[in-house]
Amino acid sequence: MARTGERRRPGRSQRPAWAALVLGLLLILLPAALLARPVAAATTVRVLMPSPFVDATASLVADFNRDHPQLQVEVARGPLDTEAMSDLAIGGLLLGDTPYDLLMMDVSWTAKYAAAGWLMPLEGLLGDNALEAMVPGAREGNAFGGHLWRMPLNGDTGLLYWRTDLMAAPPGNIVELEAVARQLQAEGKVRWGYVWQGRPYVGLSCVMLEMIHAFGGQWWQPGSGRAGGQTQLDSAGAIAAADWLVHLVRTGVSPEAVADFAENEALQLFAAGDAAFLRNWPYAWREIERGGGPVVGKVGVTTVVSAPGHSSGGTLGTWGLSLLAGSPHPREAAEVIRWLTGPETQKALVLDQGYAPTWASLYEDPELKLKHPLLAVQRQALEQGPEVRPLTPLYAQLSDLLQRQVNGLLTTDGTAAGAMGKAQTQSAVLIESAAGEHTASGPLLKQAVSKSSHASGRLQAQRRQGVA
Amino acid sequence: MNPSLVNVLLMAPALVLLAIVFAWPLLDSAWLSTQASSVLTGLAPLANDGANWQRLLGDARFWQDAASTLRFAGVSVGLELGLGLAMALVLHRPGRGRGWLRALALLPWALPTTVLALGWRWIYNDPYGPLNAILKAFGMAPYGFLTTPSSTWLFTVIADVWKTTPFVALLLLAGLQSIPAELEESLVLEGASPGQILRRLTLPLLRPWISLALLFRLAQALGVFDLVQVLSRGGPAGSTESLALYAYHNAMRFLDFGYSATLVIATFLLLVLLTACGWLLLRRRPLEISR
Amino acid sequence: MIRSMPEPFSPIPGLRIEGLSRRLGERSLLADLNLEVGPGECLALLGPSGCGKTTTLRLLAGLDPASCGRILLDGDDITRQDAGKRRVAMVFQSYALYPHLSVADNLALGLRIRGMAAKERDSRIASVLELLQLGELSLRRPAQLSGGQRQRVALARALLRQPRLVLLDEPMSNLDAQLREELRPELRRLLCGREQPVVYVTHDQPEAMGMADRIAVLRDGQLQQGGSARELYERPANRFVAAFLGRPAINLWPAAAGRQLGLRPEHLRPVPAGGLPARVQRREWWGNQQLFWLESAQGELRMLLPAEQELPESLQLGWQSEHEHWFDSHSGDRLPAP
Repeated sequence: MARTGERRRPGRSQRPAWAALVLGLLLILLPAALLARPVAAATTVRVLMPSPFVDATASLVADFNRDHPQLQVEVARGPLDTEAMSDLAIGGLLLGDTPYDLLMMDVSWTAKYAAAGWLMPLEGLLGDNALEAMVPGAREGNAFGGHLWRMPLNGDTGLLYWRTDLMAAPPGNIVELEAVARQLQAEGKVRWGYVWQGRPYVGLSCVMLEMIHAFGGQWWQPGSGRAGGQTQLDSAGAIAAADWLVHLVRTGVSPEAVADFAENEALQLFAAGDAAFLRNWPYAWREIERGGGPVVGKVGVTTVVSAPGHSSGGTLGTWGLSLLAGSPHPREAAEVIRWLTGPETQKALVLDQGYAPTWASLYEDPELKLKHPLLAVQRQALEQGPEVRPLTPLYAQLSDLLQRQVNGLLTTDGTAAGAMGKAQTQSAVLIESAAGEHTASGPLLKQAVSKSSHASGRLQAQRRQGVA
Repeated sequence: MNPSLVNVLLMAPALVLLAIVFAWPLLDSAWLSTQASSVLTGLAPLANDGANWQRLLGDARFWQDAASTLRFAGVSVGLELGLGLAMALVLHRPGRGRGWLRALALLPWALPTTVLALGWRWIYNDPYGPLNAILKAFGMAPYGFLTTPSSTWLFTVIADVWKTTPFVALLLLAGLQSIPAELEESLVLEGASPGQILRRLTLPLLRPWISLALLFRLAQALGVFDLVQVLSRGGPAGSTESLALYAYHNAMRFLDFGYSATLVIATFLLLVLLTACGWLLLRRRPLEISR
Repeated sequence: MIRSMPEPFSPIPGLRIEGLSRRLGERSLLADLNLEVGPGECLALLGPSGCGKTTTLRLLAGLDPASCGRILLDGDDITRQDAGKRRVAMVFQSYALYPHLSVADNLALGLRIRGMAAKERDSRIASVLELLQLGELSLRRPAQLSGGQRQRVALARALLRQPRLVLLDEPMSNLDAQLREELRPELRRLLCGREQPVVYVTHDQPEAMGMADRIAVLRDGQLQQGGSARELYERPANRFVAAFLGRPAINLWPAAAGRQLGLRPEHLRPVPAGGLPARVQRREWWGNQQLFWLESAQGELRMLLPAEQELPESLQLGWQSEHEHWFDSHSGDRLPAP
């Protein structure tokens, strides 16, 4: 019963002060969790997921548990919000004693969690070709530093929503989008032209990632060094991207309030029929259809558009499962990953929930094609090269400082060139300072940490099996 | 048994608890602020010769956050004291339904801050929130309450004042009720006006309660986190970011524990400095009425 | 009290209370009170707690509104006047000293509020401090004073106002018995015989008798009897006044034929024969006199005798008929001797 007590990773002596709160919480929760454990001798794999995934997979998990008496899956319900989910997971991980084997992770967390040494590489358990049968876009953002850390469960990308009742076809590029929006606004058919996410949070980074690419630039240039690359935020394309967004706000195509819009606020305005275009994730489709508002049946979905002459790509926003370092039974946990991210489960999730799958074969499935009109668009989005967030442990900082600059540009005076110049300078300073951090052996240390944890996980697993 | 030993024994559980929940995290943070401990070191602490503190001194964002946190704390605590006093004076008056009124007035304080912040976020929503519905009813264009730095700051202060004024009012009400009625009646017989009573009697006697409310609220406001996190996320453009929020970002988002600990300690020192100043100012004996 | 008829058009000096009442909802706190207090006269309002004496004081001060009736001060109707304009000084039971101010500032505050020039203020304060021998305490705070000193400061503050009327609410109840006795003459010296009428509230009968020129006994908001201590003692208007005044309390015979006899303990005497037979139950020896508890056919009786007198266990009791008080056993009102 003292399983959690044994799950201590070597090389992790540091216990930050802010974890004291979490400690208090765990002191209360752990005895309850221990008491609630089933008596059966079966191996139990515990998974922490955001709330919507818990609901979506509940019946599948129940079926699995019925069919596998020796391998039970226990799902813990995390919060709905991505950042709240991250807080919960990190809070537990910081103590070095997380009660979970598997964690459902956002694509933007991969590098950070891997570098922190919280994950176990999956290639040894799932094979080197585990991702090969997936659509190209869905393979992105799962590996870092030469290891596979995560198996994606869904293939979300940023999409463009448009009104089929107001136009015959979606715009082919941003110039068309702006022109159509302006005309519809001038005709009084919609209050606003285009709504998106401008609040200083992860959503704004996703919008910027798409826009920079849409103007021929790139946020991140992978390369060498501790940070794993360089930013290019002062490139012409990046500046033009910021300039276009602020231009939309200042000329009234997008409301000023967009600077405080997250996904839901933008969706709300579009669903109320007050906007011609919306940038959002696949979930918005289901929300609009379920909401029963004035635009039901009048909404089209397409891939995001770029400036003329450039290629476009929606930001990759997948969720996937990772194996937490220190899991006492990594093999069984990997089994659960294989099942939960596998084609059968994903097919059921497409049918029940309308999730975008990651397996190429599912996009060919006639049954799914028939039932889900969005599937074709999602496949296109994933195949034409979705945008992957900078794959670096510093992503959270880089994302944060870009959000501040762009949001500042939207809410105050200033030029896009000035704001992006600052973002670039700050990013460079951050990357520079990261290179100068006192460490024993740079990236090697990180690998050493993850390897040792991997090894210790295995060791503990073997020991436990020996005991059992 | 030796009485001082008994004292020590009786206090021991409280001291141990204080040490665990207060002293230990603080000392740990102080130590960690001298270490590089981030995602790049695999979270392992490595001494970095005060680089965190050097970085802090040159970190414009820290200074901006410190200034905005101080400004927020100063203005909102000032407003809360003024309004709280007014509210306490009203609640102190005898009258029908006073018990209900008091319970009602406390409601904002009883609500969890995050719930309240979500509520305000809805109220301020542009264009669908109730405030904008009112503007619309008067034929005015919707207003982006949370879209410019100055208005976001103002409406964050309003939300904070709305929530915590009842707390101040309750404290001051307790203070008012500790003032014997005869003192006021005695002054009434001297021909004092309500304003004179307030200035000559009520305020001087409330001074310890005002100090208490001030210190409590100042400490809370300087550590403001949840309201800002939910209402504006420190935006627009980081203009409403508080020190606590910055420290939280560094720890939980950036996994830069060394620098986060540095921020925590810097905030703590700032808090100690301010409360010490406040305490020294207020500890002074009440003013003799000038001759 | 009989006073000379006023000259026409000249104000009647002193305090005059006409039909003063206060009700709070259904409850009557004070009903139809009529009293007069002359200049320099000290009237004690006496009664058990809840009898309406403090209510009367608060009505006179203007702290509570009267339901009906009039209050005339030197001929002016002040019934509806603001408390602050009445120039009435009040010494509260708790003294109501401002805890944040020194003695000198406690005294000065009222004068400041009235905007008195600093020079006059200082000289007045100095003289009242001297009068009450508070000079060396002037910089202390109330918390640093003894009970007696606090009372003197409260008194000084009241006198400093040069009030038209002085009200005292149980000013000695917070002091110990010995101090109370010591302070009584001083209080009289300071308060009485000045220009203003003084109304003094107490539930302590010896204090009322020692301090006041006249006493008004209140019960349940109703005036029972007003007059000099002697009048009240010797001719109580009813059984309540008879019982309330005088310690040890008056002996009351069981009612018979609608009448009830009352005899004060000091008026009972042992007689050789032909009296009321009684037996000594208990004796309290007080030094200057002694109290005997007796068992008789009329119930338990108290008899006060000189300290040196010895009594047999069984004796006969006698008294003079002029000391008899007769009451209606139902209403309690005084009846003429049968």
